[in-house]
Amino acid sequence: MSALWVLAMTPLPLCGAVLLKRAWTGPSPERPWLILGGWSLMALAVGVSIPLMGPARGPAAILAVGSAAVLALVAAGVERRSARAKATRELAPEPSDRRRVAWRGWLRGFLAGPLAGVAALGCGLAVAICGPGEIQTRMVIGGLIVPFLWAGGMAWTLSDDKILRAFAVLASVAGLTLGAAFLKGAM
Amino acid sequence: MDASHDQRAKTKATSGPIWPRVPANFVRAMLAGHSALGLAFAALIYLVCFSGSVAVFTQEFDRWERPEGPVLNAVSPEAVDAAVQATLAGNPKAHDLLVRLPTPDHPRLTVHDDATPGGERTYVADHTGRLVGEARTPWTEFQTELHTVLHLPRAWGGFVVGLTGVALLSSLISGVLSHPRVFKDAFAFRWGGSKRLQEADLHNRISVWGLPFHLAVSLTGAFLGLTTIIVGVLALATFKGDASKAYALFRGPTVKDDARPAAKVIDVGSALAAVSTRHPEARPTYIYVEHPGERGQHATVNLATDGRLSRGETIVLDGESRILGEVGYERGALGFRVLSAMTPLHFGWFGGWPVKIAYFLLGLGLTAVTASGVAIWLARRLDKGRPAPGWERLWVAFAWSQPLAYALSALISLLSAHPAPVATWGLATLATCAAAACATPDRLSVVLRRISAALLALVAIAHGALQGRLMVDPMGWVVDAALLATALLLALTTLSRRPPPVSRQA
Repeated sequence: MSALWVLAMTPLPLCGAVLLKRAWTGPSPERPWLILGGWSLMALAVGVSIPLMGPARGPAAILAVGSAAVLALVAAGVERRSARAKATRELAPEPSDRRRVAWRGWLRGFLAGPLAGVAALGCGLAVAICGPGEIQTRMVIGGLIVPFLWAGGMAWTLSDDKILRAFAVLASVAGLTLGAAFLKGAM
Repeated sequence: MDASHDQRAKTKATSGPIWPRVPANFVRAMLAGHSALGLAFAALIYLVCFSGSVAVFTQEFDRWERPEGPVLNAVSPEAVDAAVQATLAGNPKAHDLLVRLPTPDHPRLTVHDDATPGGERTYVADHTGRLVGEARTPWTEFQTELHTVLHLPRAWGGFVVGLTGVALLSSLISGVLSHPRVFKDAFAFRWGGSKRLQEADLHNRISVWGLPFHLAVSLTGAFLGLTTIIVGVLALATFKGDASKAYALFRGPTVKDDARPAAKVIDVGSALAAVSTRHPEARPTYIYVEHPGERGQHATVNLATDGRLSRGETIVLDGESRILGEVGYERGALGFRVLSAMTPLHFGWFGGWPVKIAYFLLGLGLTAVTASGVAIWLARRLDKGRPAPGWERLWVAFAWSQPLAYALSALISLLSAHPAPVATWGLATLATCAAAACATPDRLSVVLRRISAALLALVAIAHGALQGRLMVDPMGWVVDAALLATALLLALTTLSRRPPPVSRQA
């Protein structure tokens, strides 16, 4: 039955995407209403899925199937370009051109990998040990925080040109959180 | 329309965007980080995404590999007990047994016996509980293990896959932050012309519209992969390094080990009946019997409730089939419920076949995003007069090696009495990458796609020919048809007469 419900709801995000496409194709007086209508239909699909399929399962299902359906819509609107025709739009943004210095590269790798990982683990541990609520909930939420913070730390350290600042922040966070976690855990 | 309305419309149409403008330097810095991380982890992310897309259909491949059944929609508790007793009669020293009960996704009754390390066997039983054969599914196990641990030792493999999930999550964060035209270009999908812009359109469109899925699978995947480390460090901080105490928090009531022989072996049928009486709304999916025949014997029954995003509740019973308690995965604290949702959310096992197909397509989309990310970097180098033809050939060969290696390992598994899918996959991947030395990227791409298509078709034909007469489970035919359709689609992609896009400054 769930298969039928999720299929029945798929036209909602698809119609929402059609409205958004019309809104973002070019400026027009209707644009705000089209944007509002588009996002509203997508939110409606998620909302309707909750009573039909469950509070966690419904949104997860409609987001997956809706995303695939909207991608099919995007693919259907493919614009074929000639290899010989000169492109009219601007180039994609360029990454910043950094000086290639070996020690900076190694330090950046150390910050993004082990140090950001240890800092994230420290934050996760601090939540698991010092946070409120039942121990299992704290452990799972703390555990979920680890990959998310590690990923955020990775993104930051790899893009920030001031790597000593990143080093100082990550080392401080790791020291503080791990210290608090082990201190509380040992008590 | 009157003049004032025209003026108002014009003003609105020409007013600035409501989304704040992202500073160019910030975008450029984010792109630099995004590019460095993506390149460092490209091969691993590609492999994990491709294998994950295939792993969505693990149950279907399991049924396809052994389509002779028996296909069971339901089974009585007495039959389950008979299957357990028959397995124990064949191997009285069995230490633990995993009994999988028929479910809509996997309509089989199987008993897995892990008595001797490396000598584990899985038996299939009929509706009476009689063991009718051994379930050998080497290719299904190969593809599952490739995704979860890359066929490395479990702790290391889980860590590498988890770290890959973190890198993917980080790429998603930096990718979104470095995309200043996320709304303006949300539907722009241009093919042809500049190679770099074509790949950028493909990369950005799939990334943006697949973002909820990408976030869900990378976060859950990273969490599942890094569990060992997270629990290990937590145990170090709180349980003096004893990780088993941390895991015990999620296992429910414990039964003390007692190796002395029991008066009688646990009655699994009674255990199932007791659980069904207490939870008539739920359906048992598997039973884990620990230390059968010992005084410390006990069973853990997993119960799935329709409509929940959950692996199911876990009920613990003692050797007398008395319920000792439940863990709380469906009705307990938030942490239990979140943990229980991880695996189904990661693999798309919660919403029937539409969700599975969506996960498969979105997973392949993420694989394509990874491939196009490297293609953008290569095109950018070419545009700047610093081409990297060797890396381009190697990347094209690696990217297309996976469908080929997967299909070849499946074919060998079907045809060989002693299949070695891991070795076949590894050798095929290496040989394909070595072929990068002797062809242009375009030629490599076409040839590898055609070989993959031929192999996929051969797998379906060989399976139909070998198993056709025994095929009781219709899933066997469904998977064969899907493989043929995939082979056809892959072959069609090589027939395009369109000239390849050029790489140049637009």
